[in-house]
Amino acid sequence: MNDRCLTTMSRLSVAAIALVAGMNARAQEWPARGKTMTLIVGFAAGGSSDVGARILAGGLEKVLGTKVEVQNKPGASGQLGYTAIARAKPDGYTFGVATLPGIMVSCLDPDRKAAYTRDSFQPVALQVVDAGILAVRTDSPYKTLKDVIDDARARPKKVTITTTGIQTGDHFEILELQKAAGVQFAIVHFDGGSTAMTALLGKKVDAYVGNIGDIRSQLSAGEIRVLGVMDKEESPFVPGAKTFTAQGLPVVGGSLRGYLLPAGTPRPIVQKPSAAIKTALESPEVKSGLDKLGLRVRYLGVEDYTAMWNEYASSVKDLIPLSKQ
Amino acid sequence: MDVLHSLLLGISVAFTPQNLLFALIGSAFGTLIGVLPGIGPSAGTALLIPLTAKLPPTGAIIMLTAIFYGTQYGGTITSVLLNVPGEAASAITCLDGHQMARKGRAGAALSIAAVGSFIGGLFATVALIFIAGPLTKVALEFGPVEFFALMVLGLSLLMGLAGRSMVKALMMGALGLLLAMIGMDPVRGAPRFTFGSAELLDGLNFVPVIMGLFGLAEILETAEQEFSRSSQAEVGSMLPTRQEVKDSVRPIVRGSLLGTLLGLVPGMTGSMSSFLSYSMEKKLSKHPERFGEGAVEGVAGPETANNAHANGALIPLFTLGIPASPTVAVLMGAFMMNGLIPGPSLLREKPDLVWGVIVSFFVGNLILLVLNLPLIKIWVRILRIPYSVLFGVILCVMVVGAYGVENSVFDVGVMLASGVAGYLLRKLDFPMAPVVLTLILGPLMERSLRRSMEMSQGDVSILFASPVAVVLLVLSGIVIVTSCLRFLPVKSLGAAGEEAEV
Repeated sequence: MNDRCLTTMSRLSVAAIALVAGMNARAQEWPARGKTMTLIVGFAAGGSSDVGARILAGGLEKVLGTKVEVQNKPGASGQLGYTAIARAKPDGYTFGVATLPGIMVSCLDPDRKAAYTRDSFQPVALQVVDAGILAVRTDSPYKTLKDVIDDARARPKKVTITTTGIQTGDHFEILELQKAAGVQFAIVHFDGGSTAMTALLGKKVDAYVGNIGDIRSQLSAGEIRVLGVMDKEESPFVPGAKTFTAQGLPVVGGSLRGYLLPAGTPRPIVQKPSAAIKTALESPEVKSGLDKLGLRVRYLGVEDYTAMWNEYASSVKDLIPLSKQ
Repeated sequence: MDVLHSLLLGISVAFTPQNLLFALIGSAFGTLIGVLPGIGPSAGTALLIPLTAKLPPTGAIIMLTAIFYGTQYGGTITSVLLNVPGEAASAITCLDGHQMARKGRAGAALSIAAVGSFIGGLFATVALIFIAGPLTKVALEFGPVEFFALMVLGLSLLMGLAGRSMVKALMMGALGLLLAMIGMDPVRGAPRFTFGSAELLDGLNFVPVIMGLFGLAEILETAEQEFSRSSQAEVGSMLPTRQEVKDSVRPIVRGSLLGTLLGLVPGMTGSMSSFLSYSMEKKLSKHPERFGEGAVEGVAGPETANNAHANGALIPLFTLGIPASPTVAVLMGAFMMNGLIPGPSLLREKPDLVWGVIVSFFVGNLILLVLNLPLIKIWVRILRIPYSVLFGVILCVMVVGAYGVENSVFDVGVMLASGVAGYLLRKLDFPMAPVVLTLILGPLMERSLRRSMEMSQGDVSILFASPVAVVLLVLSGIVIVTSCLRFLPVKSLGAAGEEAEV
């Protein structure tokens, strides 16, 4: 009896060792020669997320010596693409782009009926941060962030402020700002940055919240003034604009783009694309490509990026009920 | 003088052999993408962006913009010949364009569409050069409130699309609005009528729906008859008749104006322009009953409008740095990849590039005209293919096209389901145009209304607070009243007749 138990155990352990060894062997030969990698982008071709991913794909091809094919699966704010990543074979050859906080919203909001959960993904690396900003027209009476907040306090729910859509990063940033400053805005949801910016320039709304990558044209034309950057440090793309934190309002946000593998991908394999992304991001070609798009490279490896996911999981959870009020 | 100087600069850039070649390649690609159903201008442009990374920026932008407006030419071809819209903005052309093809006027329909497209594109480009500043002010006037009023006007034109029965037209309009409700609520974030399907969170995809309603339904209906005739129709003369040309002049002028103006407004789509142009032409026509039976005005107006729209949508890109449509957003991505930020500052920093690109619009549109007119002869030969063969080919093209919109099998299902629904509705003599109009219009209208409400925190009076909005709302009132009048005399006559009998 005991004997049999032992043999079973030894068999099991042999099997386990063989499995680990096999995995290591597979990890060593990853990526296998001539095997194409698929990069799933859950956003329309030509958008900022797509272009950023394509630039990186080009860099990765050089680092890994294999083809990286971009596949667009747009729809439902990335949800269709995320579903495809979650369902992919966890062999390290299919990975995808994820945008925080968007993906976390789809994981945590039961209304979104996502076919995946937070645990369906293995975070691999953070690529870029497109920090959030609050901007007004150049001829606006608001000169500082304080002016906006004071006015919102004096006239609750009268100061109009735009988002690029419901439950987007901008929307959550405004909710955080309302909480931090104790004010209420009239939040107007647009569908994307261009209609929101038109409304701002056409004097239909008072303030615009969006990402740096979307406002560079109006900024360089001198049509808008950025009153604050929602980042830990000031942005080289918006010279002279202070951070929200420096102005006494601890709001940090924006669009954070990174890469995911499906959960269950063997650990040794996970590290490899993560390291390759790091190398690719350091290449001058990728760097200047992202720089032209106004995207700031901020690499985080597997551990740090996973920690960031956990942070977002708790903050987004608190904001979802507020976003539906 | 200043403009003249800039134009000369632009000419010197656009007319280098290299840039002429880029314009030619772009135009040819654009036509091809337009012809292929499913692959619309934004997907087509995006596909080719990586190719341009190695090109000089001016050439790359010239080529990509040519692809963009070139698709508007190509989209017409399948609409007219096969009743399958090559892309969304040409959907309405199916109604009369395909009827013309059945009457042997395919060549004329395509020629008029090509000329109209050329004039529309030219008009919007001239507007960009000479009155971009004032036009931009017009675009900025259109906030959510004014946008909503414009959508009300669009909806009121629906009454003009009615055929024999106003009730049936309104029923179809309501059906379209209902279908437009599918998807994520834009303000509360709650899913509506999605039945747990993530594919429906964005709402129904417009292109597969119209492919089904027009193309597949047509095939199903024709399949009822025996394939006794070997082909659809005699091809007939390529050239439009004198009467057809005369009838097209006004729709082309109106289409140019309408398309350019709507193109300016961010968030407006090219299909909106072509649909409103069609509705307007039918409303203004002395013979509205000819629409749907092969009226040349129903081809000339919308085809002009969608091209004017495409070129008009580039105006805010240059004056404000705002992409007015999803395709222009893709173009903007191409600018940025080349290290250029479109907008007023680009004009100051790189006038040679900006004016070179603008002048290339003339070149590109001219190339497209020259390219398309002789090709028409070849295209119409498709009509000589026997039905039994042609239908199989069209079905394949539609399935691939529906899949290609977003790489989704779900959309193929949507196309097939819409086809069956469209077939049944045709059998019951329901008109198709209203449902398509409200399907495009519904989401735009809802979003602008709810945005207005968010701005005023629920105060309805904001809808009447803007002079532009009030003018548009009054116009819609006029359209509704005059559309009703069309039905009144018949009724009163009937009533009088009955009285006389008694």
